Amino acid sequence: MGALMVIFSLQPKQRRKPTDSVEDELELSAVRHRPEGLGQLEAQTRFSRKELQILYRGFKNECPSGIVNEETFKDIYAQFFPQGDASTYAHFLFNAFDTDHNGSVSFEDFVMGLSILLRGTIQEKLKWAFNLYDINKDGYITKEEMLDIMKAIYDMMGKCTYPVLKEETPRQHVEVFFQKMDKNKDGVVTIDEFIDCCQNDENIMRSMHLFENVL
Amino acid sequence: MAAGVAAWLPFARAAAIGWMPVAGAPMPAPPRDKRKGQDGLLLLNVSGTRFQTWRTTLERYPDTLLGSSEKDFFFHEESREYFFDRDPDIFRHILNFYRTGKLHYPRQECISAYDEELAFFGIIPEIIGDCCYEEYKDRRRENAERLQDDEEMDGEGGGGGGGGDGPPVKLTAREYLWRAFENPHTSTLALVFYYVTGFFIAVSVMANVVETVPCGAPAGRADKEEVSCGDRYALAFFCLDTACVMIFTVEYLLRLAAAPSRYKFAKSVMSVIDVVAIMPYYIGLVMTDNDQVSGAFVTLRVFRVFRIFKFSRHSAGLRILGYTLKSCASELGFLLFSLTMAIIIFATVMFYAEKGSAASKFTSIPAAFWYTIVTMTTLGYGDMVPKTIVGKVFGSICSLSGVLVIALPVPVIVSNFSRIYHQSQRAEKRRAQRRSGSGENSARYMRSKQNGLPIDSLEEEAGQALVGKSASPPFESQHHHLLHCLEKTTNHEFVDEQTFQANCMEISVIKRSGSRTSSPSSSPSPPRGLGSCCSRRHRKKNGFGLPSANNQELSTIRIPERPVANSRSSLNAKLDETMPLKCDEAFGGPRMVSLAAPPPTSPEGDASSAAAPAYSRSNIVRVSAL
Repeated sequence: MGALMVIFSLQPKQRRKPTDSVEDELELSAVRHRPEGLGQLEAQTRFSRKELQILYRGFKNECPSGIVNEETFKDIYAQFFPQGDASTYAHFLFNAFDTDHNGSVSFEDFVMGLSILLRGTIQEKLKWAFNLYDINKDGYITKEEMLDIMKAIYDMMGKCTYPVLKEETPRQHVEVFFQKMDKNKDGVVTIDEFIDCCQNDENIMRSMHLFENVL
Repeated sequence: MAAGVAAWLPFARAAAIGWMPVAGAPMPAPPRDKRKGQDGLLLLNVSGTRFQTWRTTLERYPDTLLGSSEKDFFFHEESREYFFDRDPDIFRHILNFYRTGKLHYPRQECISAYDEELAFFGIIPEIIGDCCYEEYKDRRRENAERLQDDEEMDGEGGGGGGGGDGPPVKLTAREYLWRAFENPHTSTLALVFYYVTGFFIAVSVMANVVETVPCGAPAGRADKEEVSCGDRYALAFFCLDTACVMIFTVEYLLRLAAAPSRYKFAKSVMSVIDVVAIMPYYIGLVMTDNDQVSGAFVTLRVFRVFRIFKFSRHSAGLRILGYTLKSCASELGFLLFSLTMAIIIFATVMFYAEKGSAASKFTSIPAAFWYTIVTMTTLGYGDMVPKTIVGKVFGSICSLSGVLVIALPVPVIVSNFSRIYHQSQRAEKRRAQRRSGSGENSARYMRSKQNGLPIDSLEEEAGQALVGKSASPPFESQHHHLLHCLEKTTNHEFVDEQTFQANCMEISVIKRSGSRTSSPSSSPSPPRGLGSCCSRRHRKKNGFGLPSANNQELSTIRIPERPVANSRSSLNAKLDETMPLKCDEAFGGPRMVSLAAPPPTSPEGDASSAAAPAYSRSNIVRVSAL
């Protein structure tokens, strides 16, 4: 473990990737990204040293180059949901994790995201979820955005479901969602409406605590 | 990339929080992670070579020895390590499998040693990565062929040399006779018979040959015409021939009587040769000295030369040659075909080239065939030679190409012959060894090897059962919890292909009957205890379905044990499901989730669906082949 600490602290530099995705592919194979030091990450996230080590070991094993690009993300997610098509949802998820929008998820992004999801307060988790739904990150969730997200989630179920998935099921689900969330009926959901509504809903509150012991 | 899946699972589960605000229904409880904080380094001591790895690395594949609690049997208390008395070089590859998820086959290792190690550690060889799979399969096939040959040799020689070992088998006279014929070394009588027949074959062939030698004019004939010895000493030769044929006939009849399967024996090549060898004599006896048929009779005598083929029973080399030619049939066929093509082409060319010259021997294309063959095989008799310049040019091209065409398939035949010959030599040596007294040991060893196999398979089964009864691999249960959360979010459930098809059909039936047309709603509707008989039957039928054996890694099967009247959608001729599902059962371990790897086949799936009913607490037990 001491060696790991030494290695981690010896590599303070990060390399930023250009936003061009083609060059990304080329550079991915050539350049290796090293994360910030273990101490820094420990300060920035709510994980302990040991947890960060475990996380990094898994991450590095899968992505020796140190970063994940969207294709890999989609592949990984597809393996968890083989019956359906997880690529759209993985795309939205990727955008949610890629906080600096440089087209790739580094270990820091990954761990920050996980820290919020697993160890964050309810507010933070809800804010993260809102960020996920808000595709264009303008602060409002419109019905179209929600429909996209809903379709992506339903896509993951695949075709063989019971009861059989109908075309209007995602749309109906969106209607239900908006009915619940959109208090002032202006057709969009703002972050405050969202957080308020979720905090009043017992089911959602309970389920937010669900994955706290994942790591 | 099963290792990868396990590594990303925490991330996928965390990301599931994104569904929570959308879900209308409460989420199921997560599986209890029983072993928190148990990640640590394990020390594996394999015959002195120490390997270390994380505990979680090994637990990626819980249906193997190292991934399950089976390794506790090898835990050495004093040194606090797991000790395995196995080959460390091969173990390196096995451990790498856990680390990288890919199993490689090292070329320098012996295939059977490798297979044994894999079997010991409970890893199925089918998951060998693409990079090494070809090599592995080739080596395996080679080994299997060699084993098969050995078994055949054993079967032949074991009967001869292993007579001292196992319990004395009482042979009937027929079996004894057959064995004496097939293995002349079994008894002195058989050996004597073997040599006598050999001698008579030689005598008969020599007689046929000498018969035709001119012997000088017989005394008392005026015209001083030379006759062959056969005509001069006709009676002597006839007596000799009779004697030989007697012996051959007796031998053939005895073999036919002793053969375990007479029909098979009669069909075999050797018996055909036997028949052909003795037939001319009998036909000659039957036929009178008729002028018309005597010509045909003379032709029949040619068949007497086939007696020489009877020597193949006495000579292994001859048999090998015959076997080689048989196995190289395709190469020989190709050789023949290409030669024929070339002959026709060149004969045509030569004919037209020599057409102009006077007194040309190339009178027709078939006549030119003879020239072409003689030239292509570089014989060059010289009875037909081209006279024109053009003819000579093409003639030289013909002879050059002949060399090439013939030289091409020959090395293939040669290599085949050499391989078969060496194999048979090896078998001969081993047979000689066994006869000389080490037969007992090797036979006992063979028997113990055979006995060992059932024990190995028993071990594996026991191991699987062991895994089946132990706690579920946490990775599996967590993954199922994740899927279950998705189901709850969308208010739809995963079903397997068959159920889905059946559902579609039922829906269309119901729609047609017009009983129910309400669309599925996502809110729970009042319970309907409508279990129509066909739906119940339908349910039960799909209850114990096997996982679909296609490349889909996940197929969920529902086994409803106790239906609860809490239907979800009103399009519900089916029985209602939806109850607190508990995804905590075990089955045949994680599969290779990577889409590229060859999928494991359903024997493991069978074991899993058998284990599923044991968990009767859950109302719907999901058996997934992940």
